[in-house]
Amino acid sequence: MRKHLKILIPVAVILITAGALYPFYHRWAREHVNYLTATNDHPLKCTSCHLYLRKSGLISKLVNAKYYSPFNLVVSGDGRSLYITAEEGNALLIVDTGKYRVIHKVEVGIRPHSIILSKDETTAYVSNQWSDNVSVVDLGRYLVTDTLYTGSGPAGLALSADGSCLYVVNSFSSDISVIDLSTGTEIKRLSSGNNPTGIQANCDGSRLFVTSRRTLSPPFGDTLRCELTIISDNNRRVAERMDIPSAHMMENVAFTPAGDLAIMPLVRPKNNVPAIQVERGWMMTYGIAVIEQGPPGRTVQLLLDEPNAFYPDPFDIVLTPDGKRAFISHAGADCISVVDIEAVRTILKESSADMLYRYSNHLGISSRFVVKRIPTGSNPKGLALSPDGKKLFVAEHLLDRIAVISTETLEITGIIDLDGPRRTTVVRLGRQLFNNAGHTFQNQYSCYTCHPDAHEDGLVYNMASIDMGRNMTNTQSLRNIGDTPPFKWNGRNQTVYKQDGMRFSTVLTRTEAFSYQELDAITAYIMTGIANPPNLRYNPNGELTESQKHGKEIFERTHDSKGYEIPVVNRCITCHPAPYFTNRQLADVGTLAVTDDSILFDTPHLNNIFASPPYLHDGRASTLEEIWTLYGKTEQHGAVNDLTKMELNYLVEYLKSLRDPEYERNSTGIQKASF
Amino acid sequence: MKKSFKIIVASVIAAGILLALFLLFIKPAGSSVSAVRTGQPAGSFPANPDGITPGNSSGVIKEAKAMPVYGHWRNFTTKDGLPSDKAYTVRIDGERVLVGTHDGLAVFEDEKWRTYTTKDGLAHNGVVSVDVDALTGDVWIGTLGGLNRWSAGKFETFNQFNSGMPNDLVYNVFCYGKDLWIATAGGAGHYDTRSKQWEIFTEINAPMHEPWTYALSAGDGKIWIAAWGGGVIEYNTLTGHFRDYVDPDGFMEIDLQPDDGVIHDITTATSYADSILWVSTYFGMSRYDGKNWKGYFKEDSGLASNFINFLRAEGSVVFVCCDNGLSTFDGETWVTYKKNDSDENGKALITNGKEVTEVPLSPSVAHNFIIGVDAYEDVLWVATSKGVSRGVLLR
Repeated sequence: MRKHLKILIPVAVILITAGALYPFYHRWAREHVNYLTATNDHPLKCTSCHLYLRKSGLISKLVNAKYYSPFNLVVSGDGRSLYITAEEGNALLIVDTGKYRVIHKVEVGIRPHSIILSKDETTAYVSNQWSDNVSVVDLGRYLVTDTLYTGSGPAGLALSADGSCLYVVNSFSSDISVIDLSTGTEIKRLSSGNNPTGIQANCDGSRLFVTSRRTLSPPFGDTLRCELTIISDNNRRVAERMDIPSAHMMENVAFTPAGDLAIMPLVRPKNNVPAIQVERGWMMTYGIAVIEQGPPGRTVQLLLDEPNAFYPDPFDIVLTPDGKRAFISHAGADCISVVDIEAVRTILKESSADMLYRYSNHLGISSRFVVKRIPTGSNPKGLALSPDGKKLFVAEHLLDRIAVISTETLEITGIIDLDGPRRTTVVRLGRQLFNNAGHTFQNQYSCYTCHPDAHEDGLVYNMASIDMGRNMTNTQSLRNIGDTPPFKWNGRNQTVYKQDGMRFSTVLTRTEAFSYQELDAITAYIMTGIANPPNLRYNPNGELTESQKHGKEIFERTHDSKGYEIPVVNRCITCHPAPYFTNRQLADVGTLAVTDDSILFDTPHLNNIFASPPYLHDGRASTLEEIWTLYGKTEQHGAVNDLTKMELNYLVEYLKSLRDPEYERNSTGIQKASF
Repeated sequence: MKKSFKIIVASVIAAGILLALFLLFIKPAGSSVSAVRTGQPAGSFPANPDGITPGNSSGVIKEAKAMPVYGHWRNFTTKDGLPSDKAYTVRIDGERVLVGTHDGLAVFEDEKWRTYTTKDGLAHNGVVSVDVDALTGDVWIGTLGGLNRWSAGKFETFNQFNSGMPNDLVYNVFCYGKDLWIATAGGAGHYDTRSKQWEIFTEINAPMHEPWTYALSAGDGKIWIAAWGGGVIEYNTLTGHFRDYVDPDGFMEIDLQPDDGVIHDITTATSYADSILWVSTYFGMSRYDGKNWKGYFKEDSGLASNFINFLRAEGSVVFVCCDNGLSTFDGETWVTYKKNDSDENGKALITNGKEVTEVPLSPSVAHNFIIGVDAYEDVLWVATSKGVSRGVLLR
């Protein structure tokens, strides 16, 4: 009995104590969760944060998984093989289209983006967007045999008409590398539009069209314009730069087999209109640019949307060999639009210039040329047609599989499973939600729409205000933002839970809020799943250049060039300490505009800041230099007015070198998990 | 009456024969003309579109020995479509000619001038320097208020506020491989078109007297900066080291010791070709072969004037833009072109040693204040303070 008492008494004490403390604990936990979520009814699930918000360690490895995330793909000339870039698998997957399974996997660089086959199909070239190179893959031995060095962020690929040169579209450095394949060296680099990705040669191979995603820097509040860069294959120079007005996110382009039209998916943002007017269909629209290749040479924009349904984030486009149909993947709506090309020609033929202009904002025009919407799995990206045009292969980016669609019945006839992880992790679910517009009024936009690649789109929006032209805010990058609360420029959201919770739907998406399970997932994704690319342009290995070292000294200085002590609040390092280069506080840096409410602004994190123009809360500074040359006259944003131009350059060079702490810890630069 | 008629007819026939013989006699041999740097067929520019003939050009050719001699001058002013008569620079770019003027960039193509101004995206209408990237075809334009890249019809502006470039007063631009070099009032600038990074060179980090730089050129991995009061600054792109060439005697007024170095510290331009560095100053011209310097002055050579605005070397010949004419020189023979003060005609002065031959030319260059020059194959373009001139090779 005594023996039992020795056990029972402590247990009883513990239970009584726990029972006594529980109400207090529950109250604390409730308040804790309420604070984090800005609600009072979020389920008290400790796992939501304490399990799924781990970025590293054993728990992170257990709850996450490594997916392939197929991105772009091509089909061999005989139709038997499908070559797929696995964006997060860092691999080239070769699929037997007869057996519907992966037969080879070739490890390539980090974040492979696009693939192209040599004319004789013995070699594949794979652009590695996060490695700044192209892997040359021997398709006989399935080995990487060479690496071609490119500009930053290589994406789209094209061969010259004679096959001797490879054009590589550098999405981060906004230029095009021209590589001599006989020597494997870059012979020239052509400047392009902003953030280019796609490239396609016209029918005779004489001209190559390069699409851009981000707009050129228009004057503040001016009409957007996105560049279509046209290269002459003859002299390998830029022959033309077409500004496509009111558009951005032009991912890819395709030509009709007849060569009379080039067709390019795009987004038409209404970023200067109050975002709250999403319910009037005024926030985002999606369409195509149709560029006539012969007289009269018009460029016409037609919307793919419908009056009560939007089809966000158009990505890829392919045309059937007979030129009758085009297929466009909508990554934000999980579907493929089927376009009747002859109907497009009819619209062009019948319509006056004034009518065509109106069609660029006409939500009903799609009924005249969109034949069908084919539902797909999550986040359809790259498209490829079989050589006979009978099968359409769709990369279901966030499902690790390829959908096979019959171009005759316009139905999915098969699924190619790429053998990725079977389970859907919480973070993966969050990413699927992030990329899907289902939680916005009439599917008008996804998180991805304004945060492409979980980054930012370079636009300034009229957010959270019903007044035109007030409180304009520059879209912030979400890369590694999880550790830098508070969120929003006004810093009012202490957590991502609050940022994406009920208020988000009330103010922005204007429809049903995320369920708490979905909110947990999307929060987990934003908090843990969005890595910064390595800063290969300005800081590839952690060793600063002499200029950057000088800049670091200026960044960390306590005294100005005349020896006077700089007030603590005016030192760069005070508000921008490592590792994220933000003190997570609000500040007045002298940038409050007359159109702003009188508020302080959140101190932004600075890692990979070079990739986030424009700058300041309302995007008024097109470049880092302009922060101080044009908008730093009061010295509220750091003591810099004693700097020479050379010293300011040093400071800017140092800022450009800042990179994600992950790369400081892990020099391999490989993201540990993928989502 | 009949007798008189016969005499008149005979006189007319005789005059015709004489005229034909005269024209045959003066027709320059091999005067096929091409204005292009790349691929333009000869004869794209008519050799003598105005039907104007150079007086005694055959004499010029003979006296000039191996030197190219240009004639058939054709002048362009605002009457012909130039936005301004003040032309600061000229550059031949394939089938077109780019002229920087006080009121914009003028482009001559298909016998027509077209002007681009700030309305088209130019940083400033005062265009003082133009160069063309031989790889990409992009045109870089230095203006009095910033720098432009003009690519496939689109202007992109760089200035000291939106970029790392040193100063908006861009006197000179020079494309060298993937790099762009600029000379500005706030130092020399280097822009790597691939990394898109700027470097600035001033008296702080280079052996300059002050940041004011006028021009630069490059070759064999080196950059030569014409720095105001600092002579020539040589920058080795491989080692990152500087070397300065200043006037050894240190006298501003005279060149005390001949050929001891660059003749003056106030330099206006450099140009490098055929392993020779040419340096212009407001006090004469210097030539440097890597070992020895040689000075040239109006007083002891065929140089038009000691006040030199600019120079450009092409092969073995240097074209020297003076305030009183255009001089050309190959190390042996000078040919200097000057316009008469009183009319549109002028002369060529050929100097071989101490022998000077004067040959009349009709017409002449537009004005004697020469600011810019460019030559390619058979054509020479000259920017002056009163218009632009184009001459063609007379052999």
